[in-house]
Amino acid sequence: MSETETIAAISTPPGEGGIGIIRISGDQALAVGAKILRQRSGNPVTTWPERKVRLGYVVTAEDDPIDEVIYFYFKKNRSYTGEDVLEIQGHGGYQNLKRILSTILQAGARAAEPGEFTQRAFLNGRLDLAQAEAVIDLIRSRTDLAQRIALNQLRGSLSGVIKEQEDKLLALLVPVEGALDFPEDEIPDLERSKAQKELQAIRSNVANLLAGAERGIILRDAATVVIAGRPNVGKSSLLNQLLGEERAIVTPIPGTTRDFVSEIIDLEGVPIRLVDTAGVRASVDPVEKAGVEKAYRLMAEADLILVIFDAATPLTTEDRELITFLAEKQPIIVLNKTDLPVKLPTSFFQTALPGAKIRSISALTGEGIPALKAEIRQAIMGTGGSEEQPVLVTRIRHQEALKEALGLLDLVAQGLEEQLSEDLLAVNLRAALEALGRITGRSVSDEIIKEIFSQFCIGK
Amino acid sequence: MQQNYEVAVIGAGHAGCEAANATAKMGFKTLLLTINFNNIAFMPCNPSIGGPGKGTLVREVDALGGLIGRNTDRCHLQMRALNTQKGPAVQALRAQADKQFYQQSMQNYLEVQPLITIRQGEVIALEQLTDHWRLTLSTGIRYEVGAVVIATGTFLRGQVHIGSLKFPSGPQGQHPAIAFGENLEAQGVKFKRFKTGTPARVRKRSLNFNAMVEQPGDRLDHGFSFWLPWEQREPVSCWLTYTNQKTHELIRKNLHLAPMYCGAITGTGTRYCPAIENKVVNFPQRERHQVFIEPEGLTTDEMYVAGLSSSLPEEIQDQFLRTVPGLEAVEIVRPGYAIEYDVIGPEQLLTSLQIRGWLGVFCAGQINGTSGYEEAAAQGIIAGINAGLYLRGETPFVLQRNEAYIGVLIDDLVTKENDEPYRIMTSRAEFRLSLRQDNADLRLTDYGHRFNLLSAEEYDRFQKKRENITKKMAFLADHHLSPGSAEAQRLQDKTGIKIQQKTSLKQLLRKPEMKTAELWALFAPEQGSPLEDEVVENQIKYEGYLDREAKMAARLAKMEEKKLPDDIDYNLVPNLSSEAREKLKRFQPETLGQAGRISGISPADLSTLLIWITRGKRDE
Repeated sequence: MSETETIAAISTPPGEGGIGIIRISGDQALAVGAKILRQRSGNPVTTWPERKVRLGYVVTAEDDPIDEVIYFYFKKNRSYTGEDVLEIQGHGGYQNLKRILSTILQAGARAAEPGEFTQRAFLNGRLDLAQAEAVIDLIRSRTDLAQRIALNQLRGSLSGVIKEQEDKLLALLVPVEGALDFPEDEIPDLERSKAQKELQAIRSNVANLLAGAERGIILRDAATVVIAGRPNVGKSSLLNQLLGEERAIVTPIPGTTRDFVSEIIDLEGVPIRLVDTAGVRASVDPVEKAGVEKAYRLMAEADLILVIFDAATPLTTEDRELITFLAEKQPIIVLNKTDLPVKLPTSFFQTALPGAKIRSISALTGEGIPALKAEIRQAIMGTGGSEEQPVLVTRIRHQEALKEALGLLDLVAQGLEEQLSEDLLAVNLRAALEALGRITGRSVSDEIIKEIFSQFCIGK
Repeated sequence: MQQNYEVAVIGAGHAGCEAANATAKMGFKTLLLTINFNNIAFMPCNPSIGGPGKGTLVREVDALGGLIGRNTDRCHLQMRALNTQKGPAVQALRAQADKQFYQQSMQNYLEVQPLITIRQGEVIALEQLTDHWRLTLSTGIRYEVGAVVIATGTFLRGQVHIGSLKFPSGPQGQHPAIAFGENLEAQGVKFKRFKTGTPARVRKRSLNFNAMVEQPGDRLDHGFSFWLPWEQREPVSCWLTYTNQKTHELIRKNLHLAPMYCGAITGTGTRYCPAIENKVVNFPQRERHQVFIEPEGLTTDEMYVAGLSSSLPEEIQDQFLRTVPGLEAVEIVRPGYAIEYDVIGPEQLLTSLQIRGWLGVFCAGQINGTSGYEEAAAQGIIAGINAGLYLRGETPFVLQRNEAYIGVLIDDLVTKENDEPYRIMTSRAEFRLSLRQDNADLRLTDYGHRFNLLSAEEYDRFQKKRENITKKMAFLADHHLSPGSAEAQRLQDKTGIKIQQKTSLKQLLRKPEMKTAELWALFAPEQGSPLEDEVVENQIKYEGYLDREAKMAARLAKMEEKKLPDDIDYNLVPNLSSEAREKLKRFQPETLGQAGRISGISPADLSTLLIWITRGKRDE
């Protein structure tokens, strides 16, 4: 049997749970794993015991650690897909998982298509029927939902822009293909300099789409916002205010929130996962200590930190430690309890954390919450106003497709320069079109032929 | 009176000849029926074979052990190498053939095959007996056979149009097969009507070649066939001239007399060989169209007027021909015409080319909706092989899209709604760089050998060639040039390339300007054969691209392996989109991969289908 491509994807839905799972499936799963995983000691992973939980790090190509993870290896014929599967559990922040996934893709795996794991599981006869149907239903409903989101939120502008690029590429490709298939008909020769100009225009449009991708992926898959602060400054109350209902247990006793509460909110169309943390303070209680360590780790991985201070009490040692930690994090500083007499002036933070945004609120009365929400939204999405809705790439798969298209367009550009033969130019142009077609669902093969005959008078 | 054969092939055109040859080579006693014994392997249109895509088909049929390549080499008047500057994947040979010699040569070959019996006769009925078939000829003669290949070309209920004149006819005035079309239809075969056409033939001595541009043939070191020794002849020239505004005005003025424009023809025409009427209407801005005057043979004064296919009244054809430089005094030998004929739809064909539900009956060529001698030959050899495999009770032979243009052609035929005659094109092949004319034997000759279509000597020769190629690849990979070495110096003296670091000959060959022959001359005592070198060079220069195609093929392979049973009731499969359900019911794909290529079927539909067939298995 021929070797199958190794695929990878984030398997947990975005914005749920404190951990996220990434699966790699295929003959190269372990080879990819060996490139991106390190043991806790920092040494390369050399043995892969089956179905054993191992602790380690995911590292970049430069060997910089990205995340502490646990991983399992499932052997061929004894895994979900029936192929070699490496499962990596990382911390749940989507940005974090996305970083891990990009590392895996760089190491030689391909981003899986929706349902591709399930499909492989089927093809290898690995899946229980009921389970399989459930998975497919889920995938179908999610793709449908995603399509609806794309349509409603972006009003089809993404596929509109991509279709434009497809049309332009098709216009470039058709005369080339036509001349290859009908060398004895009068089809004008390819003008390489003119083609280069057109190609560069398409290339820069695709590159722009890709540049907007980071933002777009946040739009679709909740950004993580961590609420931090020392105990009893009102973190849970703020969470509740942001959620709009009583969710977390709110008590005046410090240290109530030892586990992490995570909720998804919709900030005017921007999905945000709010994570409440244990209060940050020095403690001898091992459980609480672990909670504090975890809080710092969550902050390190967050897309945005809301750090709360009690405006009614002077700064404590814990507050100061937190401020030092946040020096380079660009948090939003939330001064709570403005309903009480203020003892903590905003001017202090302006010097301690220059550039940080500061918002005063009362988590008790709700005062200042709308302004804080706007601040959060802006911090996540940037300053782009809602009137000029930019075209956003919202799925990591789309991002992959655009990246691939861009790479191929660069090959074509180079080929045009270097007098690459036209059969290869055509192959690369086609592949670029097919990559874009994975986003728009357009299949160009028949269109090419149709266009050849409508543009050129062919045939004896 | 009744006789028995193992296989009957109905029609002795380009598909029928290949089919009969294949079944006979596989050891089956074969009856080859033709409506006119004088017209075996007749070329009713352009006496030209090959071109991009088509030329690769010829090589593929030849690699399998078929006839079209050998016969073209034997009968060519000129041969041209096309697309030589555009990369190896699209390079193609195209030949002008001597039409009469082509027929004669094919007939001579088939007549001496001990297992082939050629018989003139018109089949009027095909009926199923318990486990075999009975054919009835118009004269009352009956044959009982185990398997049938139907290769009726444009004969099946053929109808010719010339202006307002229309009459039942096969190509070029031959007797049509009317009763057989009716017989098949009465038994449930659904036909649609396609249309094709051909230009007038003119008398050579009435032409003024001084007003035309000569199109000489190329001098080449090889022809189509992997097996015949190549023999370069003195090429016979074609001639190029052009239409002009006068031509176009005349045609526009008389458009109401064209059967296609006055509604007399209902069949669908092709975009590949449009009539001059269509060109003038569809491309009004064009000031002129090319006209190629091509010889029909060495023993005839007839010439073919390529580019001026027409079904206008003969008088108008005569008038517009005279507007073309060099044709002012033209004498028509036979007028151009359009012909309508019966075509079987994609939903009735299996990838084996068997008619769905008709065990042991296969179709090949224009009846399947294709156009072209090469396409017909390609289907003919496959239909023949599958008729043989059917008789042996073995699984049909199906070539995949990544194996051969033949695979692309047949897969397209059974998965795509075709509303015009289908012509192969390189742009239809997604594995274009792997499916080259130079490696057709490496791709397919093992199959040809398996079905006994090649002689032992031919297969030995092929194996030797394959070994040589492997050896040469290894030599190039293992032989390194070091900076400052004598060999590096030799290279620099000869080519100007300076070796900076240790470089293998393989790496060197990746340079666009580097040729294999040059490397042999410099570093290997033995000179390579040009055909072997072509493969070696392409494999090395295009390695990265070929790997990419191989990866893509591997990805698709699993979907192709997943068979869809032919008794699926798509009404019972839940969660299919309604478009997918309709399409699946209509096309009844044989594999999941095929289902995926039908337009309107999404990945979600495929997954749903996959679940359904899994469930089916568990229930059993």
